[in-house]
Formats: sequence, structure tokens, C-alpha cells
Amino acid sequence: MVNGYRPASLEEALALLAQKELTPYAGGTDLMLEKAQSPREYLFIGALPELRQICTDGEYVRIGAAVTFTQALEDERVPALMRRAVSQIAAPAIRNAGTFGGNLGNGSAKADSVLIDFVLDAKLRLVSLRGERLAAVEDFCQGRKKLDLARDELIAEILLPAEKGESWSYHKVGGRSALAISRVSFAGVYQETEGRISRCAAAFGAVSDTVLRFRDLEGMLVGLTPAQAREKKEDFLAAVSRRMQLTAGRVSAEYRKLVCLNLLREFLAEHGI
Amino acid sequence: MDEIRFILNGRETAYTGGAGDRLLDVLRKDYRCTSVKCGCGEGECGACAVLIDGRLMNSCCVAMGAVEGAEIMTLEGYRETERFTVLDRAFARATAVQCGYCIPGMVLAAEALLRRNPHPGPEEIREAISGNLCRCTGYNAIVEAISLAAKEGNGVW
Amino acid sequence: MEDISRSVVKKDHAPKMSGRSVYVGDYETARDGRPILFGKLLHSRLARARVLGVEVPPLPEGYFYVDAKDVPGDNNVNIVLDDTPVFCRETVEYIGEPIAMLCGPDEAAVRRLASECRVEYEELEPVLDLRRAQESFFDYEYGHGDPEKAFAEADRVFEEEFETGYQDQTYLEPQGMMAEPEADGGMYVHGSLQCVYYVHGALARALGCPREAVHVFQDVTGGAFGGKEDFPSILGCQVAVAARKCAAPVRCVFDRRDDLEFTPKRHPSLSRYKVAVKDGLITAMDIDVRFNAGAYSTLSAVVLQRGIIAAPGVYRVPNLHVRGRAMKTNTAPSGAYRGFGAPQTFFAVEMMMDHIARDLGMSSLEFKERNLVRQGDATSTSGEYHFPVPLPAMVEEVDALSDFRRKQREYAAPQTGRYHRGVGLSLVYHGAGFTGSGERDLIKAVCRLRKSAAGEVEILASNGDIGQGVRTTFPKIVARELGLPLEKVSFAHPDTGRVPDSGPTVASRSLMVVGELLRRAAIRLRESWEEGREQEVEERFREPDYLLPFDLDAFRGDAYPTYAWSVSAVELELDTCTGQTRVLGACGSFDVGTPVDENIVRGQMEGGFLQGLGYSSMEKMDYDGKGRIRNNSFSDYLIPTAVDVPRLECVLHVEKYPDGPYGAKGAGELPLVGVPAAYAEAMEQALGGDGRVCHVPFTAEDALLAMAAGET
Repeated sequence: MVNGYRPASLEEALALLAQKELTPYAGGTDLMLEKAQSPREYLFIGALPELRQICTDGEYVRIGAAVTFTQALEDERVPALMRRAVSQIAAPAIRNAGTFGGNLGNGSAKADSVLIDFVLDAKLRLVSLRGERLAAVEDFCQGRKKLDLARDELIAEILLPAEKGESWSYHKVGGRSALAISRVSFAGVYQETEGRISRCAAAFGAVSDTVLRFRDLEGMLVGLTPAQAREKKEDFLAAVSRRMQLTAGRVSAEYRKLVCLNLLREFLAEHGI
Repeated sequence: MDEIRFILNGRETAYTGGAGDRLLDVLRKDYRCTSVKCGCGEGECGACAVLIDGRLMNSCCVAMGAVEGAEIMTLEGYRETERFTVLDRAFARATAVQCGYCIPGMVLAAEALLRRNPHPGPEEIREAISGNLCRCTGYNAIVEAISLAAKEGNGVW
Repeated sequence: MEDISRSVVKKDHAPKMSGRSVYVGDYETARDGRPILFGKLLHSRLARARVLGVEVPPLPEGYFYVDAKDVPGDNNVNIVLDDTPVFCRETVEYIGEPIAMLCGPDEAAVRRLASECRVEYEELEPVLDLRRAQESFFDYEYGHGDPEKAFAEADRVFEEEFETGYQDQTYLEPQGMMAEPEADGGMYVHGSLQCVYYVHGALARALGCPREAVHVFQDVTGGAFGGKEDFPSILGCQVAVAARKCAAPVRCVFDRRDDLEFTPKRHPSLSRYKVAVKDGLITAMDIDVRFNAGAYSTLSAVVLQRGIIAAPGVYRVPNLHVRGRAMKTNTAPSGAYRGFGAPQTFFAVEMMMDHIARDLGMSSLEFKERNLVRQGDATSTSGEYHFPVPLPAMVEEVDALSDFRRKQREYAAPQTGRYHRGVGLSLVYHGAGFTGSGERDLIKAVCRLRKSAAGEVEILASNGDIGQGVRTTFPKIVARELGLPLEKVSFAHPDTGRVPDSGPTVASRSLMVVGELLRRAAIRLRESWEEGREQEVEERFREPDYLLPFDLDAFRGDAYPTYAWSVSAVELELDTCTGQTRVLGACGSFDVGTPVDENIVRGQMEGGFLQGLGYSSMEKMDYDGKGRIRNNSFSDYLIPTAVDVPRLECVLHVEKYPDGPYGAKGAGELPLVGVPAAYAEAMEQALGGDGRVCHVPFTAEDALLAMAAGET
């Protein structure tokens, strides 16, 4: 292969990555659009069997980094919330090629699967010749095109905590109903345990440099009954609003904030809050 | 082994150019598969869509290194099949072809749908072609055509 | 159904369906087998500047730099006036203005060389804001009656301003032209275009050669919608000049980004309406229209004419004053796009009527119906509606299909919950054919039928198939009159070397005007048919007798021989959390006369309607403070996908036009014209309260911010 490498195993891929300056290529749908400054050498990892598995181990659903969105949509083990979000990515041809690892690797807050990684508290298994480590997704995604990923590391798996009967909400705002890049996206996960809120997670995508999640603010509602939470709702929303320093993009920051708060309010209302 | 080997429209072949070269360009220039059109160059219109291992993909977003060992089909190959004949008749009856530029991608998108779902409803058809832009028809006639092909297919899918 | 309306398999279905059609970008070599050089334009980076010089990198053997100095003839592309140059003169007037073309055998090398060119500019102050633009290319005024008196005597006077944005044609096949020098010294130019003879005329001037030394062919064209009416003349001259210099075939096909940024789009507009109402009837309108023409005049004169003629809408306006100006700004020259000025003003007048009705406490439809023109009434330019105005019947058809009246009442009540609904309806016309006396004085269409000894007939005309089906409908007409099977009548893509000038493929004229000429020619051929002999019959345009001649200086007379009519209805659902809309229903009744192929005409209605929906909602395009169009990719300039609309329902309402073939009228542009107002009215209802939509596109952001501002 000229200007590229196609390793037969993950081990081989990591060895190559350790020696050379290579660009990992899984699905290619983001990479092929970039105008690289100088000619790139690709490391084709999209077919590596180690990266294409979906499995469960009781605690997590483990999605290989080169699993495509279509593959995930056809597998009921993948949490329904993730399948919902992924079903609205672009269009069939993109979903057939795009991968979970690539969606993370692109370092964009518009990445639809990354929003769900954030709201579900996903962990990433990162591998290199030097070993492997687990990273929380919000530690991994540090900003626009800024990832906690060493030059010789690959994302191997995305670990999504197994579903435990939560209810969830998802909404994507794009410019149209298909082939749309997110302008605002929202995902919420809610659970009650013995009449009290045990989980009230909300994540906002496409509105800042990374996906936004305010765990400390979520803490304002955790442990309360829905009725108590209703009392605190306006304070909670106001606190979220103050915390949101949004960027403008194709749409204004004002619009983004309005939509985020509306969707958050709607999400709470769905659960009697 | 410098070459990238793959199967194009049923024939084994090898590409000796760069692994980062765009499949769209290679298909059009090296293999003269000019049915594969460039509408935007960034995966947003579907005019360049081909079937890779039976899956619809935008060839403008695929690097040659990724097709090693793959089976690629373009309309040049597909038009020799019986399934194409069914689609051809249906598109003709529904007058679904206007300027023709989106058609190669649409036809392959239809094939990608029907091989998995031989009896799709209108919503499923629209979803299947949601990545293929058409500016001429307003999509009605194309959806009609695919629906007609599915009905008249007579077990061909 | 008329015989002629029965749908047939299109004659160009097979090659397009099988992927065999050759578009300009598909040629492997020139006709004579020579390799084709790749051409890439060097575009201005600034909206207005003096070009002091260009530092060209060293060019390898076989690579060329081509600019104005290389134009053998006249560095002017005549569109209506002579202002657009082939390559820029001393100044550049918009971002994207072509400075030069780089040519060579290897695409990557040419792109690299183009990127290495260093242009030295002396920056000048551009004019970018339409509202503040001072210089106009054209300034028209017309009217009748005594508007001042009517305003003084009115019960109510309403005044409002409306704005429309760009719309890009977004043909799936980008602009592309190719030039091939011929052995005898001639030049053969072909590509993606609408008007072979426009390109031909421009080439003869730019190359400074006799007209016979150039011929132009229309390749299979992947969509146009007006966007390839004037631009191919410019690009054609550029590749021809380059081919002359390089002494080799040169092809330039635009990248989508360059196409979105630099080629002509629909004119953005600002319209101010002042309307007098007395006893529930309109007594006067005073209308001021400004179109953003961009940096060169190109087609703006004609677009403006059509726009201001349409400005009073489908209503009786006894006292009228209209002023229209095409303003110069340092942006890409605006051009032709389906509707050609009318979508802009019809949006404005329909919304004006909606708002007046609301203020008067009437339903908008009721108010409009009271003021509709009828057959025999004067047109806006003091011509006459010679033929039936079927709008009332068409309203009933649309109401039956869409349940409009009931839904309008239902959704008028205050709505609760997250999703709000609304319906809207508009009534419009499209003047069929060229504005004014252009057909008679400028175009002077000629077409021919050539019969072989074997009895096969070829149509010789310059109208090109751009997807609208003339390669099928023209033969259908001729075959019918001659009693021949369709396979025996052919119509190839036009080549100026072989066909006479039957006029451009614009203004919804091809079928109505040229189709009718062909029908008459076919009748004459039938009557003079000689078995076993070669024959040729020619037919020339004759203006219909009933027309009141149009005086362009006075804007008086019949601006169009007839009108196509439409009633459009849209139902939508608005998500009050996000501002997003879902179109629940879309339907229209269209009177384009007898369809010369039902499926083909439906296809035009459906395609045009969807373009109208895109224009209303998601197709936002504007330029920044430097004059640069930022949404220059398909991920940023959004057109509807198959999942963005439900099935469009279309009714073809037929009022036969006696001077069109079998009663057919101009059809192509009509379906887009009424959609923005129908969409906007539906949006207003969904917004609730006093929500007003005065601009399109009206996006999700617009909707949400309108709700948040408490306007609703």
C-alpha cells in the first residue's frame, strides 16, 4: 500500500502507530473532508476484528471503536437512547461508514453519539503498545479537536453502563430532518428509586467547545421527590442558564440557550417536575 | 505488496496508487465508471454513492486503503442485473427521472433498501433515500417508483 | 384525459437511468481524442479592489495562465448589457470575480499553481448593504389611476416592508463548460447550459471571430432552474479563450463550494407596500421594490421587470404606483432562478393581504377572494386578462384536498401544548413566456422539422432538456400531428451548428411557444408529406393577434400572452421548544393549460413546490461583513431531503390556452411562486398571537426568537 497501512491486527496497528506519524482511519467520513496541510499516511483500522465487536459483560455494553452506526442500530444490546441518537446521524450512507471511535476522535461537540456517551457516563478504553487505560468521556474530550489521546494511542472501546430501567429523552435540532449537523442537541436520563430522584442527567451538544454536562447542578435535584424538585425547578434552570456560556455557530448563542433550557424544562415536565 | 486489491462490479482488480486517494476519483478516472457522480465532494448529496460489501456509501468519503478486499458495485455493474430491470421499468412508469444526475445514487440506494426490506412502506423508502438529494423531482415520483418496483419485483428481492 | 396528456416513457429515460448519459465532466477525451486540460479559475478574494498585478508561479511545460490580455476579441460577455467581463479588468467588483484561469494536464498541479498565485490588490470600499446601496443599474416606474387621491379617501391605509433572501439553484450537477479548438481554426464549446445561442453570441464576440467559426452544443445537463441561463456564457468564453491560448481542449467544472459562493442566485429583495382599503376593497397600492443585483447587471433588468409587473398580485388595483430598482452591491451578480423576480413580490403582496385581512378581522382568503381579478379585467400594466381566471375554482379544489378553511378556523383558536399548527394559502400567477415583446422583437424564434427519405423526423430547435422533458414533449407533439410512433421522431441536444435559433430555454416558454411552432410545422409537413423524399419545413414565431403590444418604456400593454395560475396550501406543525417545523401537508392546484404529458407536468409541479418550501424555511444564505458567502457547502446551505416533506398533492386544473399546443401554457416556474406566502401564513398561525412573518427564509431560529420576544 502506498501512503497507508492496513494492519491485520490491533497489535500490529499499535506497533505501527508507535513508530510512525499516522492518521487512524476508521470510517473516513470526517477525515476525507479535511483538507490536510501535507499529505497524510492513513492507518486503516476500520476492519480490525478487535475493534468491531459489540459485547456485554453485565456491567457495560462494550462497543468497539470501529463499530459503525448501522451496526449499532441493528443490535438491540446497544442502549435504546444511543440507538435513537445514532439513527438521526446524517443519512444511511454515512451511518454505514461512520464509527463510534471516529465520532469521538473528530473532537467535535456536534458529535451525536458523543452526547450520549456524556449523558450515560461512558468510559473509553484507550490502548497503546505501552498498555491500556480507562478514561471518563468528559476527561477525554477537552475541547474543540482537543483530546486526551496520546499520539500512539487508539480508542479501542466505548463502555456504556448497562441499562437499568431508566427513562430517557433525546432531541436533535438540525437545519432539516436528515443530512443535518446538530445545531443544538439534548439528552436526558431520569430515574427514581423509592420515590426519590436517583438520576437526573442532562447533556447538551453542539452548543459549546465540548458537550456540556453540569453534574454539580444535577445534584440539586438528586435525592428529592418529584414534588420537592418541582419547588426547586426554577432555581435549577436559572443555575444552568447562568452556567451556560455558549458559542454562536450557524445559529446564535441566544437561540441555542433558549432551546437548551426549553428542552431541559420539557424533560423535567415529562417526569412531573 | 503495494497494491490494493478489490472486486469492482464482479471483476477482481488491483489499484497501485495512493491509499489516501479518493474512491470517487479512482472509480471515475481509473476505471471509467462515470455513472458515479460528484455533486458536492463532502458526503452531503449521495450522487457519488456506491455499494461496498452491499452497503451504500458515499465514495467521496472513502479512501482507497479502506476498500482492500471489498466488493464494490456501481451502476455500471448493477445495470446488468434483473433487479435493475425491475427498477428501470418502475422509474420509467413513474417518470422519476428528470435531469438524471441523482439517479445512479438513487438506484443504488433503492437496491440497498430493497435487498434488506423487500416490502418497504413510503416512510421507509424516504428514509432510505434521505441521503440522496434531488432538486428536480420533489422526491414524490422517486418514492412512487421504488414502491412500484417493490410491488412488481415478484420475488426478485 | 387528452390523448397528448397520457404519459409516455421519456425518450432520455434509458441513458440517464443506466448511468450512460455523458455530462460535461464525464468526457474522457475531446472529440478528436486529444486529452483535456484541467482549468481552474483564480477568483478575487476581495469584494472590491483594484488589481495591481498577479505574481504567477513558474509554470511547467504545458501549463498556462490565461487572463484578460489573452482575450482575442472583446473582453465583454453580453448578457443584456455589456458589463460583465470575460476576465476582470482593472478592478474586481465581488468576491469570486474571475481574474484568470490556470490550465494544465494534471488537476492537482493546476490547483496547486492556482493557490500559489499572489494577487496584489489595492483594497477599495465595497457596498454590501442593500438598504444603503445608492447605485442602481435599472430604475423603473409605472402605474395608473390616481393613487394619491385614493390614499386620501381611504378608510384605512396599511404600510409594511418585506424581505426575501438569496436562493441558490443547487442543480445537482455543478457548472461546467469545455472548449475544443478545431482543426479548421474553429472552436467547439459544450457543457451544462440552457441557452446554446446565448453562449454562441458571447463566444463570437470574445474570440473576435465570425459566428460560423464557433459552435455550441448542450451536453446532458444535470439541472439548471435558471442558474445556467447566463453563467455558461461567461464560463464558456473563459474556457474558449483558454483553449485558444493553450491550443488544446480545456474543461472547467466548478467545485460545489465555488458554485455556491460565486455563481448567480435569486435576487434578494426589499419591498415596501402601502395599500389603501375602502369598503373592504383595495383602492390603491404604492409599491417600492429593491432587488440586490450584485456587482454586474447581467439579467437584473428582466428579473426586475417581471418582479414589479407581478407586484400587485392577483388583485384588482384601480390606482397603482410601482417603482423598482436593481441595486448594485459588491457581491456575486444575481441571476435567474425559477420564478425570476415573481416569488419575491408575490411573497410580499400575499403577506400584505394576509396582514390587512387580519387587521380588518376577516379571514385572509375571504379578503383576497373579494379583490381577485377576473377575465376581462386590466392587468397591472393596463393589459388585459384575455382568458379565464380560474382562481375561485382552484381555491375550492385546494380546500377540498387540504381542508384549508376548516383548519384555518380550528388553528385560529389559542393553542396549548408544545406543538402548534397552522395553515396558509396563497394565490398567484406566472406570466407565461418572455416578458413584453421580447418574443417578437428579440427572440424571433425559428424551428424546423427535417424528414428523412425513410420517413423519420428530426426536430431542429435550440431549446434544451434540463430535466423538464422537452426531449420527450416536443417529439410527442410532432409525432401526434404526423400520426407517427414516438420512436420515429427525435430531438437531439441542440448544437448551434445544426439547429436554428428557436430561442432560449427560459421563461417557461419552450413548450408553449416553440412547442406550438413545432405543432404548426408538423401540420404543414403532414399536409405536404411526400413518401420516400427528404423534406424540411420551417416555422417562425408570429405574435398572437389579441395581444396589446407591450411598451417597455411605459410599462403598458400585455406583459405576457397569458398567465398560468396556482393556489398553494401548506400545513405545518411548530415545535415551540425549538422553533423547528414539520410540514404536515402541502398541496397545490395548478393551471398550466393542457399537460403535454401528465407525469412530466406533475414532476415539474412537485419539484418546483419543494424548491418553494426550501426557499421558505431552510435555504438560508447570506454574506458577511466582507461580502463573503459563508454557507458555501452542502452542509451549510440546506435543501430539502426526502424526509423533510410529506407527499405533495397536486391538482392540475386545465384552462386551455388557444395559442399553446393543445392548450398548454408555460409551466416550469409557476409551482414555486406561491409557496413562500402559504408557508409564512401557516407559520404566523402556528406562532399565534400577533406573530408576523415578513421575511423568508423564516428559520427555526426566527420562529423561536419571535416567540421569545413575546410577539406571540
